[in-house]
Amino acid sequence: MASHDVRDVLNLPAEGAGFRPAKKQKTAVPRPNLKGLAREVQNLGGDNPIAIVPEISTFKKRRFGSRKPAARWEMRPFHNSARADGSLHLRHWRRRTEGQSGAQSQDGQDAGEDKKETEQKSEELDDSGFAKFNVQVDVPQYSEDQYNSNLTNNDWTKDETDYLFDLARTFDLRWPLIWDRYEYSPKLPGGAGNGEGADTTDPNTAVIPASKVRSMEDLKCRYYEVAAKMMAVQKPVQYMTQAEYALHGIMANFNPNSETQRKKFAQNALNRSKEEAREEESLLIEVRRIVARQERLNQERRELYNRLDYPHTEQDINAFKSSAGLQTLLQNLMSVDKSKKRKPIMEANGNSTPTSAQPPSAHPGSTPTAENSHNRRESIAASTSGSAHRDSIGGGERPERPTKKGAQPPERKKLTEQEEQIYGVSHHDRLSSGPTFRYERINKILTTKSHAQHQRITNTLAELDIPSRLNMPTRSVVEEMEKLLTAIGLLLDMRKMNDKIDAEIRTEQAKKAEREKALAASQAEGGAKAEGESSSQAQGKSGDKGQVNGNKPATNGEPADKAANAKTNGEEPATNGTTDGESDETPDAMNDDEAEQVKEEAGDDRASRPGSSGGQKRSASVLSSVSDKSAKRQKK
Amino acid sequence: MAPPAGKRVKGVQIYRPFVYGTTARPFNDTDNPRPAGVPLDHTHSWQVFVKGIEDTDIFYWLRRVQFKLHESIPNHLRTIDAETIMKENEGKGKKQRAFVVNETGWGEFEITIKLYYDSKSGEKPQTLYHHLRLHPYGRTEAEKEAMRNGGEVIAWTYEEQLFNEPFEEFYKILTSGARDKGTPASGAGGKGGKGKGKNVSQQTSDVDGKNNEVKERSAMIPLTTKPGQPFSREAEAVELKRLKEAEEKVHQMVREMNKTVKAKEAELAALKSSAA
Repeated sequence: MASHDVRDVLNLPAEGAGFRPAKKQKTAVPRPNLKGLAREVQNLGGDNPIAIVPEISTFKKRRFGSRKPAARWEMRPFHNSARADGSLHLRHWRRRTEGQSGAQSQDGQDAGEDKKETEQKSEELDDSGFAKFNVQVDVPQYSEDQYNSNLTNNDWTKDETDYLFDLARTFDLRWPLIWDRYEYSPKLPGGAGNGEGADTTDPNTAVIPASKVRSMEDLKCRYYEVAAKMMAVQKPVQYMTQAEYALHGIMANFNPNSETQRKKFAQNALNRSKEEAREEESLLIEVRRIVARQERLNQERRELYNRLDYPHTEQDINAFKSSAGLQTLLQNLMSVDKSKKRKPIMEANGNSTPTSAQPPSAHPGSTPTAENSHNRRESIAASTSGSAHRDSIGGGERPERPTKKGAQPPERKKLTEQEEQIYGVSHHDRLSSGPTFRYERINKILTTKSHAQHQRITNTLAELDIPSRLNMPTRSVVEEMEKLLTAIGLLLDMRKMNDKIDAEIRTEQAKKAEREKALAASQAEGGAKAEGESSSQAQGKSGDKGQVNGNKPATNGEPADKAANAKTNGEEPATNGTTDGESDETPDAMNDDEAEQVKEEAGDDRASRPGSSGGQKRSASVLSSVSDKSAKRQKK
Repeated sequence: MAPPAGKRVKGVQIYRPFVYGTTARPFNDTDNPRPAGVPLDHTHSWQVFVKGIEDTDIFYWLRRVQFKLHESIPNHLRTIDAETIMKENEGKGKKQRAFVVNETGWGEFEITIKLYYDSKSGEKPQTLYHHLRLHPYGRTEAEKEAMRNGGEVIAWTYEEQLFNEPFEEFYKILTSGARDKGTPASGAGGKGGKGKGKNVSQQTSDVDGKNNEVKERSAMIPLTTKPGQPFSREAEAVELKRLKEAEEKVHQMVREMNKTVKAKEAELAALKSSAA
């Protein structure tokens, strides 16, 4: 079936022109011919030319363009001043400069090598261009004396400090390196070689000091401490320039703890995971929101309080508490009112300053004098209205005091630390205002003491070869002097205590000697007596008693020749009845002589007490009564 | 004196070093002849002074000094005003910067020195006492001998004037206008010029490497002792060292004392226990 039959059936126009797609016309536009690309490759792109832009490299043919002679290069020896040895000579290629080349190209080739050599020697070997990068770090130096006076530290020995500074110099203050290589082993004082020798000689050195593990911060801290101090020693703070001062401040304020903490934080921050970071962020946002809300709340509350609070006054308002005071206040306010009416310009820009609304206690200080004179009142009125005016500017809230205080600091310029040093400004918590002298402080310490104490202190100072008047009572000297004085006070206290104890010891010793003497005597007595047993018993008793009463050692038994005397003393124990018990206890079989002796001893014991010396003054009647008693007892 | 307007600057202390004292010279025929009109029994000429350290200006905080001499001296209350000194200084090459009284006499006595501060300070006058020295003194013979040979008997005292909580205005006076010695007083170039000038001079002196000069109107103390200027950081360091050593010694003594006291206490306790 041909196509036209089908067309017939379908009732389509036969052989309709245009229906058949016309034969593809050849694109007349000639393709830009890209050089260097195969035609096939170009055809791959079809209608759209492929987007390869060929780089047309235009090498300029500049060969022999400039007819200058080729630059001459030469091997030239050089040295590196950064090297410590200075003997190493290397050679490198260098372009020859014009002046040289003219002379040398002929000379150098013609004349022998040696001549060239000498010429170059004479013109000084080149220094290496890299020498300048060998920067030496300026590590502070200190002498033995300076170390002892300024730099001593409990944690650091001088040896170790030296070691640290050595390392710092070696590694040019590269702290990680210094820390890495830091291996300080303290020297053993008594020769590290023979341990046994050290053991036997000194017990201190027997223990091998464990080398401390120092963190980088420790090392830095020590280094900066020493550096800052040495800086201050060489140039007092007042004389430093701004840059030096800043450096000094940084070094002096180095805080190893905060530094370690900072590092720890950084470490943590680097180590956290993504989730943690996200969480942290959200928490931070939350916190910020809370804080903001809190602040707003606080402010609102403050505002509320301000509204509720009556305006504070710094002046005394007692003058207005009486009715007369109120009257003057009223008058004053009226005058203020009048003056305001007279000067409307004053509040032209203030929107509303009704004087009646003016808080009555706002400016009370000026009122008491208001009735003095008209002029005066005028000025006061002006001033009060002026401040009222300021109030009105302040708006609804009247932070009267805050604005006053806030206004002051800008008046006074803030001094830098260095300026404070120069002008001798220092800050203290408590000061009594007014002029004083530096030395007064020491004077006060000395004069508040009693005369004797003062004398003792001056004597001690003389002993120490310190003049009583300081030569230069600067702040540090005075502080040092105070320390010295407290130390001296301590010393004097100790001396006093020492004297006291000395005295006590002396009395104790005297007592002991006496006791021993007595003991010896009584023993001799006891030996002589046949009935030593019972007497010694009694002695023990009386000894106990003596101890209880006067904390006195039992000085038993006086020599026999003192017996009469002892008997007169013996009345006291007899009257207070202590001997009664004793004599009761003594066995009945004891004969009179023995009982007599016991009594004597007891009495002696008492008598030896200083307090009972009054017993000797007893009247004879008492004595007789006592002797009666004793006689009765003896009859028993 | 009415206190000036403004308040005291709380918690602030400012100090100014100064020197006061006496210098005495015996009369002799060669270099210190007795002037005409001086009584025959007078043996020395002496002067009492109050001045800044290294002869710096102190007139900006010290307005007047009253020296109270011995009553036997005619006109024994001598009052010196900074203003009159400055007036006299006008047109003179060498400026006097100290409060000085020159006298002759034969005896030592205590001089009462009353310092009146600048009127802007609003502070009450303060009193110092100084013993006039005519004859060599000292703790040791050597010190005395040195003084004898020096021809002068010097009794100088270093002191620091402390202003505790100065009034605002005075605070400003005390904390501004520091400048290198020898430079003219500020005010000519205005404020900006002054600040600039100060910086420049500071830098140049740094270059010279000798900015060890005490600045005018500052509280600075010279670094090193110079002839005629015995008070310096150096002297301070010496004194500090001496005090520290003394303190160490005292501590040592305290420790020893402590030890002996402890031993004695033990002895005492033993004695007591043996007695019991």
